[in-house]
Amino acid sequence: MSQQNRIEGGLVNRAKPLKFSFNGKAMQGYEGDTLASALLANGQRLVGRSFKYHRPRGIFTAGSEEPNALVHLRTAAHGEPNTRATMAELFDGLKAKSQNHRGSLEHDLMAVTDFLSPFLSAGFYYKTFMWPKSFWEKVYEPAIRAAAGLGALSMKEDPDTYDKGFLHCDLLVIGAGPAGLAAALAGGRAGARVILADEDFLPGGRLNAETLEVDGMPGAVWAAQAMAELASMDNVRILTRTTVYGAYDHGIYGALERCTDHLADAGGKPRQVLWRIYSKRAVLAAGSTERPIAFGNNDRPGVMLAGAVRAYANRFGVAPGREVAVFTNNDDGWRTAADLVAKGVDVRAVVDCRDAEPPVSLPGVRHVRGAAVVNTVGRKGLKAITLTNGTTIPVDCLAVSGGWNPNVHLTCHQRGRPEWRDDLNAFVPGGVLPVGMAVAGAANGSMTLSAALAEGRAQAEGQIEALGFTPAKAEAPKAADEPRLAAAFWYVKESTKRAWLDLQNDVTVKDVKLSYQEGFRSVEHLKRYTTLGMATDQGKTANIPALAIMAECTGKTIPETGTTIFRPPYTPVPMGALAGRSRGKDFRPYRLTPSHKWAEANGASFVTVGNWLRAEWYTREGEKGWRDSVDREAKMTRESVGICDVTTLGKIDIKGRDAGAFLDKVYSNTFSTLAVGKVRYGLMLREDGICYDDGTTARLGENHYVMTTTTANAVLVFRRLEFARQCLWPDMDVHLISTTDGWAQFAVAGPKSRDLLRKVVDKEFDLSNEAFPFMACGEITVCGGMPARLFRISFSGELAYEIAVPARYGNSMMGVLVEAGKEFDAVPYGTEALGVMRIEKGHATANELNGQTTAHNIGLGKMVSQKKECIGQVLSQRPEMIREDAIRLMGFRPVDRSKKLIAGSHLITKGEEANMENDQGWMTSVAYSPNLGHSIGLGFIKRGHERKGEIVRAVSPVHGSEMEVEIVSAHFIDPEGERLRG
Amino acid sequence: MAEFKLQAEPPLAGTDIQMGETRLTAPKDLAVVAIALPLGGEDKALKAIKVAYGIALPGPGLSAEAADGSTRLMRTAPDQALAIFTRADPDAEKVVAEALGDTVYLTDQTDTLCALELSGPGARAALERICPLDLHPQAFAIGAAARTVMEHLGVFIARTGEDSFLLLSASSSAGSFLHAVETSLKNTN
Repeated sequence: MSQQNRIEGGLVNRAKPLKFSFNGKAMQGYEGDTLASALLANGQRLVGRSFKYHRPRGIFTAGSEEPNALVHLRTAAHGEPNTRATMAELFDGLKAKSQNHRGSLEHDLMAVTDFLSPFLSAGFYYKTFMWPKSFWEKVYEPAIRAAAGLGALSMKEDPDTYDKGFLHCDLLVIGAGPAGLAAALAGGRAGARVILADEDFLPGGRLNAETLEVDGMPGAVWAAQAMAELASMDNVRILTRTTVYGAYDHGIYGALERCTDHLADAGGKPRQVLWRIYSKRAVLAAGSTERPIAFGNNDRPGVMLAGAVRAYANRFGVAPGREVAVFTNNDDGWRTAADLVAKGVDVRAVVDCRDAEPPVSLPGVRHVRGAAVVNTVGRKGLKAITLTNGTTIPVDCLAVSGGWNPNVHLTCHQRGRPEWRDDLNAFVPGGVLPVGMAVAGAANGSMTLSAALAEGRAQAEGQIEALGFTPAKAEAPKAADEPRLAAAFWYVKESTKRAWLDLQNDVTVKDVKLSYQEGFRSVEHLKRYTTLGMATDQGKTANIPALAIMAECTGKTIPETGTTIFRPPYTPVPMGALAGRSRGKDFRPYRLTPSHKWAEANGASFVTVGNWLRAEWYTREGEKGWRDSVDREAKMTRESVGICDVTTLGKIDIKGRDAGAFLDKVYSNTFSTLAVGKVRYGLMLREDGICYDDGTTARLGENHYVMTTTTANAVLVFRRLEFARQCLWPDMDVHLISTTDGWAQFAVAGPKSRDLLRKVVDKEFDLSNEAFPFMACGEITVCGGMPARLFRISFSGELAYEIAVPARYGNSMMGVLVEAGKEFDAVPYGTEALGVMRIEKGHATANELNGQTTAHNIGLGKMVSQKKECIGQVLSQRPEMIREDAIRLMGFRPVDRSKKLIAGSHLITKGEEANMENDQGWMTSVAYSPNLGHSIGLGFIKRGHERKGEIVRAVSPVHGSEMEVEIVSAHFIDPEGERLRG
Repeated sequence: MAEFKLQAEPPLAGTDIQMGETRLTAPKDLAVVAIALPLGGEDKALKAIKVAYGIALPGPGLSAEAADGSTRLMRTAPDQALAIFTRADPDAEKVVAEALGDTVYLTDQTDTLCALELSGPGARAALERICPLDLHPQAFAIGAAARTVMEHLGVFIARTGEDSFLLLSASSSAGSFLHAVETSLKNTN
């Protein structure tokens, strides 16, 4: 197909033809075209089907407000539905197709819904598909969604990449139309750091679409010169193809840059970048959006906004029709007629609802005064219009202008309310703007070119002066004030056919009236009842006319009727851009233990613990499931020796003269009295007296302690300690720094642990029980001088140590320990065996310290020293916290030893009904004990310490299970602690 | 002679990625020692630092090289600084202790942190994708240092030259750290 609608002029590069296809049909356009302008150039008026009634629709606008021309771009996994053809920059090889039809675009089988429209008015679904209730989700909604809607996803993973970033500036200028260019020039010339963002690929805004002059040259030429000057300034950053979509707190703006959407191949670079722009000041120069007038069958392909028609003619060199009529309520519509005449397009009539002299003289063009378009004909493309005076005029394009709305959206993102201006018949930004924002040009209601240029400059100068810059002394750009008078005329009352307001959601004038009639009169209700202003265009062309009609129904003024709230984003932001790089395994950072490589090479399976990957068990040949591995690791450790990487536990280096006194304040028990070379278990409370965290703290020197925390709370405890140090007790000489990642730490546990360590620890260090007893610690060397730390502590209950070396030697250390342990049949063990052994020993972890339990509950009440003050000490002594009948941590074993305990089971006294009232506690942790040969559990039960030997019921309604269990000591293995002291 | 010998395996060892004229490397054998100034003993400590390194300890948010160029001192808090220098042996803390004696508290951070150096004309554009701080030459002068978050990771950043930056982050997440910086470099160069 040739470009039969291409006319002379425009800003497209005719030396660079581009091939593309629409619904498989080969077409040609030029560099500088949008898909929309290229389709119009090729005479393709029908481009899609409407949301609800599958009405044939064409291109309606020339910008991001487009409600109709939503197309599917590219193919397969790269395919993207719901792209506005008016925003898609043409490239060679672009494949586009229409959407929301069954069968071809020309013969959509679903168009039958249009004939059923008398039954499908607003609220139809809510009223009709009410019974039976259960059918809504399963039957009605899927069927309705399949029939209505927009494009379809490929359901494949998006192969493109996306990125995010951070930008900083003194002055952010949003929009590169006349006001924005004037603002950016003022900021740039004064030396301020300026970011100029525009959603178009060609900056200039309406200067490119119109024929007005600036400084005696065509507007587009002036815009190009201004851009060249801005591009030459180091302090100005220009972001084209970038939509500033949201105004957030403290001058922060969200912006989406479409980096490679205009290229056939992204070349491995991110397709889009989501910027967070930190601005000291901003000038919003977002321009304005033309609105339609509603009349019968005003949605036919060929009915377009007047400003768009002239944009296609002036900027793209495309005549959207051969015989055009203009329907306007304002002077600006006349400029479209004048531009078309100048381009040699046949303008058949200007229909002006006002009974007034024309603002522009157009000899030979028929002027119909005080009339309106009442109906149109031509189902798949406009053929003729009928006027209120009964005249029919054959045309293939109707340019409609209902006046212009300032784009106030970003001024409202922080709950600013726009204000009505009667002289413009439009809302303008209200008094309360986002911090640091000023508005200029048409977005502020300064609708003429001269006013926009002046205000852009003035607002930018005001903004930068406030930052201490001195505006440059340059001539202000000069332009004329074009005629801008307009009438408040919203819809043609004489129309009997459906008059469309929201083209994207198929909402008509009648739907708005129905909404009023049925009591949905607030604009917020109107929106939700009719879906007006929803969907991807957010009602940019529809909202104000609909408001006007609702105002008429209610007898109120438009400002009294109010607007819905504008929220970000201004235009759609792809989910991929919001996700950025956070996909798949890069969703969040991962942390590796020092022995990760060794573990990987030795059969480890990994579990995520926070961001850490920890070995959960090491599978050996012949093992059929995880239990085989875990049982073996737990058993072999107790029989000989096991090695476990415990680096993930938080380590905080605490130094200072007051380190001991500081620890006394953050731990419930005392540390200032701990001898150098000794370790103590410590319990931390929250302010309210509930258990917060626990761990061991070693005293390595007079002014030097090393605290360990649980893996999960490592960061939280560090933060809490910093808060205590900086804010609660700033007079203490205490210094904190994390060394979690710095030391590769290994538990070496089991009766042979000392023998193993003797092979690794340098000979001068005596590991005998006398020289290095339980709870000893020290700085030693291993493997011939390597600095290391040794702690005699035990989580498993065995004779055990933790040994630490600088983390970069950790992988090697794991290998050395296993190698040295060969003669003892040493075994590496993972977190599961660790868990089994701690349950066997009755040690509490997060299951027990769950944020609801006290020291009293876990049987450590005496650890809350009453001789000193610590965080949580006072509130831990509230009567309710130390009740005699409080729950206590106990052990449980099934009466029938073959049964498997279930964690989370609730404990009920025998003979009582299993209900909330009789709840005695719950099972917190369970495991199969390979050392005892049956299931064991830890849990809380009321007065547990007085009930040893009692049989109670463990009930889990979730699992439908119940069994008898015996209350026993939590210390299943070595209750007297002989092993760990041996 | 001990029966067993330990091998060092620093997480980013050998990293050297060139994209155009911009280069991302992991500095070899970089040692980091945290210096804490005792409360009430600041003057003594600052004096000792000046004697040992030939420069005054830079203020918070700044870093500077010692007079002999051997060590970079980065002030990370009013009472805390990092001494960054090259040292292969695992005794970095001792090296600083010999210089400063007991006027300060020291904690070895060599293995807690890992380092990347990004330098070249594309460095700033790459960092723009992950670093929320304003790195414009006017806002982040040579020597400037800060602690920030990149891709959820805590990072110390210092501008060490016209177009070069030193980044320090936790060593356990070195893989994610490298991925974050490398991806930024690839996305922008």
